[in-house]
Amino acid sequence: MNALTAYRILCGFVGVTFALSGLGCLGGFFASLAPGGELPGPIPLGVGGAYFLAFTGCALVGWGGSLIGAARQPRTHRTVGTATAFALVLMAMYRIAAWFFGDYAFLGNILRVEAGGMLLFALAFVWLRPPAVQEG
Amino acid sequence: MLRWLATAVIALLFALDLGLPYTPLGRRGPEALVRSDVAITGVSVGAPAPDLELRTLEGQPLSLAEFRGHPLLVTFERSVDW
Repeated sequence: MNALTAYRILCGFVGVTFALSGLGCLGGFFASLAPGGELPGPIPLGVGGAYFLAFTGCALVGWGGSLIGAARQPRTHRTVGTATAFALVLMAMYRIAAWFFGDYAFLGNILRVEAGGMLLFALAFVWLRPPAVQEG
Repeated sequence: MLRWLATAVIALLFALDLGLPYTPLGRRGPEALVRSDVAITGVSVGAPAPDLELRTLEGQPLSLAEFRGHPLLVTFERSVDW
């Protein structure tokens, strides 16, 4: 498997995962609107949390769609992978900070494990990025 | 060059993720709250509860001694203020 194929698989996998997760978040928001609807999970959500869950879901659907486009045309959409790597690093940073400062101690090591996984994916996006195409 | 810079940043974050001690600055975490506000050990079953002082949700001090002579039910549960 060459680097370009691996990059396309990476973009496709992360893109589909993000899109499905986004749809799940959006569905969770609508489920929370039902009478007595309380979303399961380690973090208790109030109405504010459900609102931001829906916002995050919409953003993930758009982000995932961009990554799926990058999987189809990796050379012309290579900046999507770079931006994704940057965003993954930022997400890992806030998870490490959240874990370190203790406000989310009830989550245990979930934040650390998530941060480690995101850093691994960011590293893959950095090193598998295809070279730029010549314009004109 | 930028690729190596990004790799260095990611490696640094990896080191932080794996190497940082557990919530050393956690002044608001539940475990830190127990450590700082309720530093009581060695309480035996059946013995009178030792006095302790906590803060109410409004920030006012609340002492267990204020309830002496009255029935008092104390429960412990996780509370997350979002």
